[in-house]
Amino acid sequence: MIPELGQGMLLVALGLALAGAILSAAGGRTGRPALVESAQHAALGVFALITCSFALLVYAFLTFDFSVRYVASNTNLGTPFWYRITGVWGALEGSIILWGWMLSLYTLIVILRHRERARELYPWALTVMLAIMAFFITIMTVAAPPFSRLNPVPANGRGLNPLLEDTGMITHPIALYLGFTGFTVPFAFAVAALVTGRLTDTWIALTRRWTITAWYFLSLGLLIGGWWSYHVLGWGGYWAWDPVENAAFMPWLTGTAFLHSVMIQERRRMLKLWNISLVILTFSLTLFGTFLTRSGVIASVHAFTQGSIGIMFLSFLALVVLVALGLLAWRWDALKGQGELDSVVSRESAFLLNNVMLVAAAFTVFFGTVFPLLSEAVRGVKVSVGAPFFNSVNIPLFLGLIFLMGVGPLIAWRRASLDNLRRNFVGPIVVGVVGAAVFYALGVRSALAVLSLALTVFVAATIGLDFWRATRARLRMGESILPAMTGLLARHNRRYGGFVVHLGILVIAVGVTGSQAWSVQTETTLKVGESASLGGYNVRFDRLDAAEESNHARVVGTFTVANGRQPAVMQPSKKYYPQESSPIAGVDYWIGLKEDLYLVLGDFTRDGRQATVKIQVNRLVTVIWIGGLILTLGTVLSVMPERRKAA
Amino acid sequence: MSRALRWLIPLAAIPVLALLAYGFRLNPREVPSPLVGRPAPAFALKTFAGQPVSLESLRGKVVVLNFWASWCYPSCYEEAPVLERGWQAWRDRSVVVLGVDIQDTDDKALKFVRDFQLSFPNAPDPSGKVSIDYGIYGVPETFFIDKQGRIRAKHVGSLSEQVFKQHVERLSSEGAAAASESSPASR
Amino acid sequence: MKPKFIGGGLVILAALGYMIYAGVTQSAVYFVTPSELRASPVTGKAYRLGGLVARGSLRWDARTLDLAFTLTDGQASIPVRHKGTAPDLFGEGRGAVVEGTLTSDGYVKATQILAKHSEEYQAPHDKNEAGYKELIKTLQKATQ
Repeated sequence: MIPELGQGMLLVALGLALAGAILSAAGGRTGRPALVESAQHAALGVFALITCSFALLVYAFLTFDFSVRYVASNTNLGTPFWYRITGVWGALEGSIILWGWMLSLYTLIVILRHRERARELYPWALTVMLAIMAFFITIMTVAAPPFSRLNPVPANGRGLNPLLEDTGMITHPIALYLGFTGFTVPFAFAVAALVTGRLTDTWIALTRRWTITAWYFLSLGLLIGGWWSYHVLGWGGYWAWDPVENAAFMPWLTGTAFLHSVMIQERRRMLKLWNISLVILTFSLTLFGTFLTRSGVIASVHAFTQGSIGIMFLSFLALVVLVALGLLAWRWDALKGQGELDSVVSRESAFLLNNVMLVAAAFTVFFGTVFPLLSEAVRGVKVSVGAPFFNSVNIPLFLGLIFLMGVGPLIAWRRASLDNLRRNFVGPIVVGVVGAAVFYALGVRSALAVLSLALTVFVAATIGLDFWRATRARLRMGESILPAMTGLLARHNRRYGGFVVHLGILVIAVGVTGSQAWSVQTETTLKVGESASLGGYNVRFDRLDAAEESNHARVVGTFTVANGRQPAVMQPSKKYYPQESSPIAGVDYWIGLKEDLYLVLGDFTRDGRQATVKIQVNRLVTVIWIGGLILTLGTVLSVMPERRKAA
Repeated sequence: MSRALRWLIPLAAIPVLALLAYGFRLNPREVPSPLVGRPAPAFALKTFAGQPVSLESLRGKVVVLNFWASWCYPSCYEEAPVLERGWQAWRDRSVVVLGVDIQDTDDKALKFVRDFQLSFPNAPDPSGKVSIDYGIYGVPETFFIDKQGRIRAKHVGSLSEQVFKQHVERLSSEGAAAASESSPASR
Repeated sequence: MKPKFIGGGLVILAALGYMIYAGVTQSAVYFVTPSELRASPVTGKAYRLGGLVARGSLRWDARTLDLAFTLTDGQASIPVRHKGTAPDLFGEGRGAVVEGTLTSDGYVKATQILAKHSEEYQAPHDKNEAGYKELIKTLQKATQ
């Protein structure tokens, strides 16, 4: 009964979403507020219904209701309590409900925040959001119904994918979806601007915080995904250029470009067409990403199931792209900018170059991801390109972007004078070059690593220089140092928030450089009592044990590890789940700032006397996660309400 | 840009979308089953009802060989009604649905058969020989065998009405004599 | 738009196009079945070879970490060698996909063995080679 109730609620929600979209559009067209208010009520209803439906699904999970197919696929009687809740969004149907729920929540927030402030744009933005919601609810009711029943009822369920029994995998989809769905709002307002012809900065100013927040959650989702890949999958890496990873990375790249180019429109009234195109592209890429992971079109190690869902997603994507681009073509004339690019050596130019590079990177990722399709369609040959392709094209682009991070914030608008260039960049460049020499002297031989680190130093120097100059100005006016610094951050939080975010990116870049250049690994087979060494660590195999848990069995290898200091014990394991055709590796690791020690249990003999173990010393990986924390701080600073500026 | 040229922009999206749509026609690179296209391994089993059944005896008919188990949740529970319906629809047209129950206990298996009211023959594979011959390492797996006793398709996971119909229709329409040498479906 | 910006844009586009072209030609990996590889083998080319691990062909030396096996598609077989343990979803009679290059000695030197995770399956347990309950009991007895 309860599952039918849940499914029924979704059906009603679909009707409300469609009705609301039509009402809101009518309200926008005719200017009658009563219509828009009805649409708002519909949106509230949709939120309430999806929330209840979601709650019923969680209830079905918690009560082991195996008559619901989705429950039987994702839990069994041994699934621990907490994973019975978080497993709800661990597979296709649940992930769509999560997406839909977030959309409905965001719609409510849009209603609360913007209904007073954007009278003309608001009804159309609401229409777009409700229409998109209607699509996702259609998926929930037609293609991937979460409440479909099994009869007769199985005595037990299959169980949760063991790789999902991990905190990373609980939070990763949430962060990622908050990011994806977040971009719906700027897109909705952009479409509203196109429809109403109000193509000034209003739609951008309104959605600035949405864009930053969505961008942040997407960044967070990508970082958590990397963290999960690193500590669960057991290959010692955090990014593999897998199609599913690329699917999330592409909108991040164009979203970052959009974040920056809107600043140009704000200041110089330029790039209107570019900005609208970017936001349409970013939103389309979020849909594309979802399509990619659910349609089975591109083979990936972690793609979901196939079926009619792929066709539905592609059709919706096509609809969105064609309608949005059609509106863009219609409003072409109104999108002419009022400013012009004066000089190559200017902030506008730096930002434009930044955008070009980011879009180029996004294109590269897209091209590499769909290349198998392309080559099969054109030449009939099944080919794919892997990590080497993505790295060879993207690394130069990313290095260029790091350089621009240092140039952009300090270079003058319109046309930078020689004096401006000298004041701002000679110092940091010198510091960068000195840094390069220092790294070389310290033994860094990889040219790429030296370049990357030198650029990082250069950018850090520009940030430091700017902050120092501004602080000094305040000190001269009589303030003492701490209030001067915090005052700066508070009053110009957008600028300094941006700087902190850049710092976070720099730290991540250092971590990526270090881990790629200096990590080492080895694999070896040890009898009981034998040891192996790597990177200053001595690893001795002590014993093998087997144990049974509630929903799996484990073989645990005990190793004593010493690196000159107090020896300690590490226990990598292999976990056997009844629903899996093969065991899952349980990695054991020590996390340190400078390096991580990483042990993976491979093969072993049945008498427990011999084990094969993979040992890795991964350097500077922790620095990547620290960069993520700094990113968080910078984002928080950026979105804080602004103090009134003096001038 | 002239009035007409601007419409190139939305049109430019179409080739990309078409490329993605093309992707649906292809199967993502699955591991090809080496059994497809080869003669099906012979078997001789006794159904739960005590009747002997062998692949030899089914020569000349299309055989849908389905490997299942009562502990296979929920995929076997999903496809059991599909198989039963398929059996009802096709049994008079020289199609046999045969279920092989692997690594199970008889009482649980019989309960499964009773609960789903399965009327097609089901047999246990006590020695596991048949599942080894067919390369089974998970359930459910379904093999579509043509009238000459050759495996023409293999389906992994829960069988849908659509896939059942697709393969059975194709194999039924072939003559009892040597079938066409077209390449087998890659599943 | 000033001509020099258009010119600069074209230069960037050309550079990007070149980088992509070079990247693709250098790192393209060709999907083949054993039959296809037998039909036209090219030494040194990067392949992604998919097939079934032929029963009886698996050789694993834990001390030297040498893994050797044969991939077959029922018609042709290709020998494969790999250094290091195989991933967990790997075994005789099962499908596997390897990425590597064809050596002049006729075997594929695999740099990666890829595994595909299926959500549909339930694995057999107990009386089976993949069964783990027996493994656990054996280990527990041995390591008392």
